Amino acid sequence: MMRRVRQDIIRVVIIIALFVGCSSLSQSPSVPPKHPEELAGRTQVDCLECHSDLSTGALKPYDSFRHSTAFVRYHGLYSRQGQNLCQTCHGASFCQGCHARREELTPSMRQGDRPDLTLPHRGDYIVLHQLDGRMDPGSCFRCHGNKNAAQCRVCHR
Amino acid sequence: MGNAKIWNYTLKRMTIFLTVALFFFLALVPNLCRSADISFSSKTYLLYNKKGVPGSPTKTFAPLYEYFSADARQLGGSSFSFHFYGWGRTDLQDQTGDGKTTGELGNAYLQYLHPKGNGEMRLGRFFLSEGAAMEIVDGIYLKGRTAMGLGASIFGGAPAEDSITATKTGDSIYGGRLFYAKPGLTEFGLSYLQEKGAFQGKDRTEVGGDLWLRPAKFMELIGRATYNEATQAMASQRYLLRLTPVKVVDLSMGYEAYSYKDLFQTALNSAFQFPSLDEKDKVQTAFAIMEWEFMKSVFLVLGAKNIKHDAVAIGNANRGELGLKFTYNNLRDAAGVSTAFVSADRNENAYQEFRGYATYSPAQWRFALDALTQQYQQSINAVSQSYQIVGSLGYKLSEAMQLSGDLRYTKSPRYDEDYAGFIRISLLFGTATGGKK
Repeated sequence: MMRRVRQDIIRVVIIIALFVGCSSLSQSPSVPPKHPEELAGRTQVDCLECHSDLSTGALKPYDSFRHSTAFVRYHGLYSRQGQNLCQTCHGASFCQGCHARREELTPSMRQGDRPDLTLPHRGDYIVLHQLDGRMDPGSCFRCHGNKNAAQCRVCHR
Repeated sequence: MGNAKIWNYTLKRMTIFLTVALFFFLALVPNLCRSADISFSSKTYLLYNKKGVPGSPTKTFAPLYEYFSADARQLGGSSFSFHFYGWGRTDLQDQTGDGKTTGELGNAYLQYLHPKGNGEMRLGRFFLSEGAAMEIVDGIYLKGRTAMGLGASIFGGAPAEDSITATKTGDSIYGGRLFYAKPGLTEFGLSYLQEKGAFQGKDRTEVGGDLWLRPAKFMELIGRATYNEATQAMASQRYLLRLTPVKVVDLSMGYEAYSYKDLFQTALNSAFQFPSLDEKDKVQTAFAIMEWEFMKSVFLVLGAKNIKHDAVAIGNANRGELGLKFTYNNLRDAAGVSTAFVSADRNENAYQEFRGYATYSPAQWRFALDALTQQYQQSINAVSQSYQIVGSLGYKLSEAMQLSGDLRYTKSPRYDEDYAGFIRISLLFGTATGGKK
């Protein structure tokens, strides 16, 4: 009973927030749907070459999005607060290069010509995942928690 | 339950129908496309390898994959856009997966980006990362922010997910996030997600909290926590302190904790369920990573991680890593070496890894070489080492078309020797310049 009341309260709050939000949308400019300059053809882009201010999309400094090793590994912490800035440069389907519902080719195989990229599962990872998975299965869960890969079913039935 | 299944099925059918209808609508109405910024990408991959299993005849695999994505922005000069992504596979030789042919519709959605306040709407199939949600949804998503900094997002529809357990996909999914953002200083949010279904006998109900705080120019605190209402316990927490005292140093330290029972209650992959895992176990992880550009275009990466289990049977582990990376040729190429050491209470969890790679891109050509070896402290299938070497050669036929091929050699506990060939044809087309990474 209490759970249902709680859910109803949450629904009402969301509806009110949506109504208020629609009627008083901020007048600050949104992030553009696409980066105006060509970015392809480089191993790594440094936003700070051109931007020293805040991103209008993420409302965070461009410095936050410097693609250091730490940023690439923990980018999920940023993306959970919004994807629009990411999509400006990476495109709408970029996330699903790894975060797909079903996937047969690993990202590192599809991009075997890009060893410079930080991509998961290099080498014969089917073997190594037994070790990493035992120690830190949460790191696997984020991507594989609801996947249905034929390779998984060989052992995990 | 019966009605819910029918509703779920109907919703999925409607989504596919609407997506196809929308695609044809956009294609057939010239006014909409006249001033649109259209781009598409076609990537074709052919993998070829032979695998022998003891006691069985050698099999030859030659799956042909096509990955296609298309984006039509500023439809009719408006703020509407349409995005499509999907892949398909057909086997030219022996069967590689569930059937000779398969594929997936990754996303197909209409998007509206309001020019002010980051107002956004998505309709169709899309990937969503927002608060407690990281889902592929057939449905709708709305987001906006007020001048005061308060904002909200909501989404609802049917989850597009795939299960290998007896549990089928959820019947419906909905949720939202309330947040406050003060530009440059902070953003924090409270989110909610509910998915109807049979997740170990319960619905999936999660409450999430997220934080980004920048108290000083050189310091960021980022965190995310998820409470599982179905199990009435905290499922996971992750916090990161990121320091950039000088432009060339990026130092991050973090802490993560999760409980198997509470985090994996929502799993649809049996690898995360009993008996594969001990449901009573909890994990705490402390980690740090530093990237230092100590010379122009030369980066040093140092990392450490401590993993602590409540369950004695698994034991604890420590991981250390060291890497060096060098970019050159006007950032078109890179070379690097790295090593990682994992020590563990149990020998079966300990290993060492060494890797080296380099690329070289003169004019239209591209060469890449990548070598990796892992040494296991306790042999696996009586093998204590694995190796993989990947050589790649590519040629840019035109601005839009690129052809490349890889040769991959693997020796591991699974393979005595495995050679695989991989060919990729990449075609990019766009009516305007912009980010295409």
